[in-house]
Amino acid sequence: MTSVAPARRRFYFSQRAVHLLFLVLPVLLFVTFFIYPIISTFYLSLQDWDGISKSMKFIGMANYVELLHEPRFFHAVLNNVTWLIFLLLGPTGLGLLLAAILDRGLRGERVFRIVYFLPFTIPAVAVAAIWRWVYEPTSGLLTTVLNVVGLGSLAQNWLGDPHVVNFALMGAVMWWMTGFSFLVFFAGLRNIPVECIEAARIEGATPWQIFWKVSFPLLWPSTIVVLGISAVDAMRLFDVVWATTNGGPAYASEVLATQMYDVAFGRFDMGRASAISVYLLILAGAVIMPYLYYMSLRVQASEAE
Amino acid sequence: MWKVGSIALGVAMLAGVGGAYAQSTTAEVWNYYAAGSELAGMTALIDQANAANPDTKFVSKVIPGNVVEMRRQLQTAFIGNKPPAAYQTSMASELKTFVDGGRLHPLTDVWAKIDGDKIFPEGIQRVAKINGVPYGLPFDLAEINNIFYNKAIFAKLGLTPPTDWDGFVKTCDALRTAGIEPLGDAGGPFWSLYNFYAPLISTVGTDGYYKIARGELAFDSPEFRKALELYRDTEVKCYAKNWSGKSWTQTADDLINGKVGMYGMGVWVAGYMKQAGFKPDTGYDTFPAPGTGDKAIFQMDLFAVPEGTPEMIKAGEEFVTTVASAKAQEAFATNKGSISPSTEVDPSVYDVDFAKFATQLATASKANAVLPNLFFLLPTDVGTELGNQIEKFAIDPSDATEHDVISTLEAARQKAMADNAYTSW
Repeated sequence: MTSVAPARRRFYFSQRAVHLLFLVLPVLLFVTFFIYPIISTFYLSLQDWDGISKSMKFIGMANYVELLHEPRFFHAVLNNVTWLIFLLLGPTGLGLLLAAILDRGLRGERVFRIVYFLPFTIPAVAVAAIWRWVYEPTSGLLTTVLNVVGLGSLAQNWLGDPHVVNFALMGAVMWWMTGFSFLVFFAGLRNIPVECIEAARIEGATPWQIFWKVSFPLLWPSTIVVLGISAVDAMRLFDVVWATTNGGPAYASEVLATQMYDVAFGRFDMGRASAISVYLLILAGAVIMPYLYYMSLRVQASEAE
Repeated sequence: MWKVGSIALGVAMLAGVGGAYAQSTTAEVWNYYAAGSELAGMTALIDQANAANPDTKFVSKVIPGNVVEMRRQLQTAFIGNKPPAAYQTSMASELKTFVDGGRLHPLTDVWAKIDGDKIFPEGIQRVAKINGVPYGLPFDLAEINNIFYNKAIFAKLGLTPPTDWDGFVKTCDALRTAGIEPLGDAGGPFWSLYNFYAPLISTVGTDGYYKIARGELAFDSPEFRKALELYRDTEVKCYAKNWSGKSWTQTADDLINGKVGMYGMGVWVAGYMKQAGFKPDTGYDTFPAPGTGDKAIFQMDLFAVPEGTPEMIKAGEEFVTTVASAKAQEAFATNKGSISPSTEVDPSVYDVDFAKFATQLATASKANAVLPNLFFLLPTDVGTELGNQIEKFAIDPSDATEHDVISTLEAARQKAMADNAYTSW
C-alpha cells in the first residue's frame, strides 16, 4: 500500500513532465513569432525611428495621439469596418447560395464545384492583375460588356473614382473568395444526415422550409468557420488592395494594413507605422475575441457532452 | 578501395570548388529592373562590370517593385548586417535618409577617379551629393516634362505643338471638338504631380521651385495657389475622361490607339510605345510642356554603396566605377531606352527621340536649367503627400478640394520644418 502511492506519484509527475516537454517547442515558437513581435512593435510605436538609422528617439505615446488627429487614419479604419461587413455578408452569402443550389443534385456538379472554387486558388497579386484589366474604364472587360448589352450608362471609372473604388475592389474579392465559403458550406450540406431532410419532407415541408428550418441550423459549425475566417481576412486585408490600387486614388481605398506599409516604407516612419499596427491589433481583437470566446464555449460544451 | 577513392575524389572536387570561390568575390547588386528593356539594360551593366573586374563576380538580384520595396529589403539587410555590394536607389532625399542613418559609404575616391565633377552636369551632381559628398553614382536619367502627341491626329487636324498655355488649351479644345480626348494621365501619386511641375514652374519660376524644395515657399502662399489654379485651368481641364482609373501603360495604349491626342509622361514611355510598334518618326513626337521649353526636369536612378565589410565596399566601388564609364553608361542607356547622365556618352548612340531628349538635357544643362524631380528634393513625407494631394486635386479640382490640399500640404511642411527635415539643395 505504502509503496504504490509513491510509484503513482512518480508516474504522475513523469507524465506531467512529458506533457510539459511536448509543450516547450510550441510555446517557444509562439513566444518567438507572436508574442515577441507584438512586444517589439509596441516598443517601436513609442519611438521616432525612420527604420534606417542605428538609433531611435523615445517619444512616448506621441505617435498614437498624432494618429487620432489624422483624417487619413480614420478613413482607413472606416474602410476596414466596411470590409468586415462586406466579407461577413458578401462572399459568405453567395457561397451559401451556390452551395445550396449545387446540393440539389444538378447535372455537372463536379464541373461547377471546380469552377466555383478555382478563383480561390489564384494568388492575390494575380487577382489584382486580372481585375486591373477587367476594370480598365474605357475598354476593360466590364465596361465593354456593359456597352454591348446596352447598359453603358452604368459603366464607371472603376478604380479611379474615390466613391467607386472600394465597391470595385469588393467585386474582385467576391469573385476571388466566394469559392472558399462555397466549399465549406457544400461540405457541411453533404454531411447533414439524410434522415433529417427526409423526415421534414414527409412532414410536408417545402424546399425553402427544409433549407431554413433544417439544413441551415445544422450548418452552424460551417457558418462559424466561414464567418470567423472572413473576420480575420477583413482585419489583415492587404495584398489585393495594395496590388490593385496601392490604397489610391488619393488614399480612397486605403485600409490600415496598406497605410501601415506606406507609412513604414514609403515615409520612413517606423514608429507611426507600428502605432497603426497596434491600433489594428486592438481593432482585430475587438472583432475576433468574441468569436474565439464563443468557439471556446462550444468546445467546452461539446467536451462536456 | 573504390570507396576511399570516391571520397578522395569528392574532397578534391570540393576543395576545387572552394578554391574557385576563394579566388573571386561574389557581390550582389540589388535593383528593381526585372523585365523587358529595363532588365536588358541592367544585364548589360552587370556584364560590363564582370568583364572589367575579373576577380569579382557581380550578380544581379532583383527586388520586385520599386524604391519602396528596396527600402524594405535594405532595412532587413542592415538589421542582419548583410547589405549588398551596391544597390539601385533614387536621388536627393532618398540618399540623404540613408546617409543620415550612417548606412552609406561615401564615394569620394571613386568620384575623384572618374572625374565626376566633370562628367556629370551640375544639376545632376547636386542630387548625387549630400553636403557636398558624393553618395550615389548616376546611371539612368529620364526627363519628365515632355508631352507626347499622336502625330497622325495632329496632322489630320492641322495642329502644331503648342508653346504656351493659351495654345495648349486651344489644342485641347480642337482635339475635344474632333471627338478625341485631349490629354492622357494615369492614376497614382506620381503622374499628375509630374504634369503639375509645368504650371508650377510657369508660376513660381526655377527659384520658386527650389524654394519649395527647401521649405522656404509655403504651400498656402498666393504663388502656390496660383500654380494650382493654372494647373486646373489647363492640364486638368484637358484630361481624358476616367484617366485616374488607368495605369500609365494603359494610357500609353490610348495614345497609340488614337483615343487621346497628348500624354504628359516621363520619356520611358517612349520605350513602351516602341515595343508596341509605335515609332517616333511616324507614330509620335514630343514637345516640352508649356513653361518648360528651355528646361529639363528629370528623374534619375543611381547606385549607392552601403557600409559593410571592406571586401563588399571594395566590390561596390569597383562596380560603380565601371558603371561611370562611358561604355557602361552607353550600354545601359541604349538597352533600356533612357538617357545617360554622363556627358561623355556620344549623343549619336541614341535613336531619333532619345537623341532629342539628350539634346534637351545638354541645352538645359548649359543654361543651368536642369531641375531634379521635386518629389525627391522634398523630405520624403512631404514629397509623398504632395503626390497624393495633387492627384486628389486633379480628380476633383473644386475650391473645397483646393482648400483641403493646401491645408494638408502646409501642415506637412510645418511638421517637416519643425523636424528640421528640409535640405538646401
